[in-house]
Amino acid sequence: MAADEEFKQEVLRLAGPEVLTCIQCGTCSASCPTAHLMKPSIRRLVKHCLEGKKEEALRNETIWLCTSCQLCTVRCPRGIRPKAVVTALKELAEREKIKGKDQAYEELFQRQIKDYGRIAEILLSGEFMFVFPQGALQSMELGLEMAPKGKIKLAVEKIRGRDEVRRIMEELGKG
Amino acid sequence: MPLGVYVCHCGLNIAGVLNVEELKSFALKLPGVAVARDLPFSCSDIGQEQIQKDIAEYKLDRIVVAACSPRLHEPTFRRAIAKAGLNPYMLEMANIREQCSWVHMDQPAMATQKAKDLIRMAVAKAALLQPLEQESIPVSKDVLVIGGGVAGIAAALDLADAGLHVFLVERRPTIGGHMALLTDVFPTNDCSICVLGPKMSEVFNHPDITLITYAEILNIEGSVGNFQVTGHRRARFVDEKLCKGCINECASVCPVEVPNEYDFGIGKRKAIYIPYPQAVPLVACVDPKACIGCARCVEACPAEAVKFEQQPQEFKLNVGAIIVATGWQPFDATRKEEYGFGRYRDVITTLQMERMLNASGPTKGDVVRPSTGEIAKSIAILQCVGSRDATVGNIYCSRICCMASLKNAQLVKEKYPETDVTIYYIDIRACGEGYEEFYVRAQKLGINFVRARVSRIDRVDKDIYLIFEDTQTGEVKRVKHDLAVLSVGLEPDQNAEVLGNLLGLSRRPDRFFEIAHPKMRPVEAHIDGVFIAGCASGPKEIPISIAQGSAAAAKAIKLLHKGELELEPTSAYVDQDLCAECKICVEVCPKKAISVKSPAYVDEAACKGCGSCAAACPKDAINMRLFSDEQILAQVRAATEETSEFPLIVAFLCNWCSYGAADLAGTSRIQYPTNARNIRVMCSARVDPSFVLEALRRGADGVLIAGCRLGECHYRNGNYQALQRVNVLKGVLEKIGLDPGRVKIVWCAASEGEIFARDLKEFIAELKAMGPIGTELEKTKVEAGDGKEKTAEGAGP
Repeated sequence: MAADEEFKQEVLRLAGPEVLTCIQCGTCSASCPTAHLMKPSIRRLVKHCLEGKKEEALRNETIWLCTSCQLCTVRCPRGIRPKAVVTALKELAEREKIKGKDQAYEELFQRQIKDYGRIAEILLSGEFMFVFPQGALQSMELGLEMAPKGKIKLAVEKIRGRDEVRRIMEELGKG
Repeated sequence: MPLGVYVCHCGLNIAGVLNVEELKSFALKLPGVAVARDLPFSCSDIGQEQIQKDIAEYKLDRIVVAACSPRLHEPTFRRAIAKAGLNPYMLEMANIREQCSWVHMDQPAMATQKAKDLIRMAVAKAALLQPLEQESIPVSKDVLVIGGGVAGIAAALDLADAGLHVFLVERRPTIGGHMALLTDVFPTNDCSICVLGPKMSEVFNHPDITLITYAEILNIEGSVGNFQVTGHRRARFVDEKLCKGCINECASVCPVEVPNEYDFGIGKRKAIYIPYPQAVPLVACVDPKACIGCARCVEACPAEAVKFEQQPQEFKLNVGAIIVATGWQPFDATRKEEYGFGRYRDVITTLQMERMLNASGPTKGDVVRPSTGEIAKSIAILQCVGSRDATVGNIYCSRICCMASLKNAQLVKEKYPETDVTIYYIDIRACGEGYEEFYVRAQKLGINFVRARVSRIDRVDKDIYLIFEDTQTGEVKRVKHDLAVLSVGLEPDQNAEVLGNLLGLSRRPDRFFEIAHPKMRPVEAHIDGVFIAGCASGPKEIPISIAQGSAAAAKAIKLLHKGELELEPTSAYVDQDLCAECKICVEVCPKKAISVKSPAYVDEAACKGCGSCAAACPKDAINMRLFSDEQILAQVRAATEETSEFPLIVAFLCNWCSYGAADLAGTSRIQYPTNARNIRVMCSARVDPSFVLEALRRGADGVLIAGCRLGECHYRNGNYQALQRVNVLKGVLEKIGLDPGRVKIVWCAASEGEIFARDLKEFIAELKAMGPIGTELEKTKVEAGDGKEKTAEGAGP
């Protein structure tokens, strides 16, 4: 993938020019409480930005796993704000309509509640597999194990007062 | 005052472009000129002899040579006229080669016109020259060395061996500095005290060194050649002459134990102590903070050396030069809270490690876990603690820690081959003779290297865990070690701050003392007669500190060996009747050469003639001996006498950089238009706003001021002062209705001939757009109607 200079400049504009001074020491990753779940690590994420690797920087779970605890920013010896890099990437991902796993799942979940008033598990997993195949594969294994034990309901149930639920959801959505 | 003008052909260098014949006859008509000649090579013996002959024949008392740059041949012609009996300062040069014929090769007519102006300016200035005498002042041949570390010791010994008397003042009870506390030193792993110890005792025994330990400097006055220094010697409560240095008798009965600062807190000492066995002078010292006054030591001492009644003693010195070798202090590791130093006992610093490895240290050379006292089996060394770290305000690399850690790791591995040693680093910096080889040696010994900057240290039960990302694999790890050694960085010694203020030394953003030029003057301070050696000007290894100590000594010897100092007559002087004692000059002087002793007084030994004070003085009470107000104004008036082209620019160029850049443009034959009439000044700060206003009033279309690049001023900050004045001046121009763009300030280094030409061309274009001076006033008049005609004419100074 060719370096995307425009993307790099946009990250620098949002997260500050000091990102250029990164020495890849790994203090940020090692300070991060969710580092064990992150791939790539926050250090690599900064490197991707500096190399203009837009796809790698935006299409990953790392940016959605950040808890904004700011430890990376407090400890960075170069005075960089890695947290600001993550925020910048989230914003850019939003602009590019790139969704993370949780976000995709959340949207489907909400829509089903609106439609049926409760979750239709079989539909939810199916749809999720469709919109986010790379994330759904992980849950497939678990699903295959659960299905024979009758833990997954195949029927699509609806509740009464779905209009009311929808109204509540819409009301909440406004906030 | 008959004046002689000599126009040089310089072969065809000048005569090939300019009409030399015309210049000669032009010069002859100028006021005061008794003789004018053109010479094929004025600098040749024949040329010089012609000038000397004319001096005798026409009784000339001042000379103008229109030839090359004064930066090249001013000394030659000064010598020549001095031989003929004239005062050497009765010479003025017009630079018609570098700044005329070589840069306007394709416009000979305009260039000849410019050369006429340059000659007219030189003649006008020459008419106002005054004979000046090089004064010499007697100086003290004694030198004060502040700080008895390895750099101070090197300086003191070289000075004393050269026959100068040295006062070596040390704040602690012993000399030796940090080096005396180290174990073996890189890259040869030889014992530190074994090589330093003999030097320490040499200092003590040298007849030309007065060693003053446990003392501080309180005040410094005077200037180069004659500094008056006041200090005081703190009370040791032990008579230095009586104490035999046995320490057993007194310390063994002393009931008080405190952490030993010479072991960085891991060992203990008594309230009466000797810092370490090789201390110089080998004399006990009572710590007044720890002592409970039981006086058992007084009774125990067989030599009756312990004297509780001892008082601090003041001392006064008169020295010709001062060498500042105040060294460094370790970064306080408790500031990196995430590493737990001060809370976890098994987290120590490099210096504590040094003391542990030292055979005469608190553990007698064993590397133990402080929490258990057992030999450490797994040691982590963390690099860059307090260096390269913006969170603690230290962006710089401390330079020696990589090598010190490699050395300590090797010593551990050699002593305990089964011990696991891991160095956590960002980059290993092994730049020096034999350093990379030393790194390879460490790798071969089986020391582990992990490229990581440790994020934090945790303690669980008795064990400590390092959390880091191994950046080569991308894994975040948590690894257990017995002992963690923090490679603490170097910071400037806190106690040096007061001293720096006393001397007026400036500091870099990293807080170390700034040297006079970052490359060319590595051991000189901005203040004449003051030198800086060793870590006082930044972290350094031992050999470089020693080299700097010796270099500073050589500089001091060069300065003082004759016993007198010849002063260039470039200094400022005060008209006592005019001085209003406003002290503005005191503030602007970069050399601290002016003090207000009602009226202001200029220390001519300290003054370097930049002229900023003369430009700043609101009452014009300060003037310069060379480049006086009258002389510069005469040049300005001569330059504008005939506004021979548009735009006409009067340019003030600082001697060190921009005048050099203009000369370089000439030697590089960079062609640019002829519009500028250059006036050489020592510093851009010399440019008095009244010079600028006079130039504009007399019809110059623009004024250019060129100085050294910001931060590179040869007088430290003159160009910043010039910038400030220009900004104020622009406001004034706006008020009187002139375009503020008519004054321009630019920066160029002596190597930037191209940039000088570019800036000048830009300015010419800007002025062309503005139109001749006064155009804007005409416009305002039209716009404002006839009612309010405020003119700028007569709005000069």
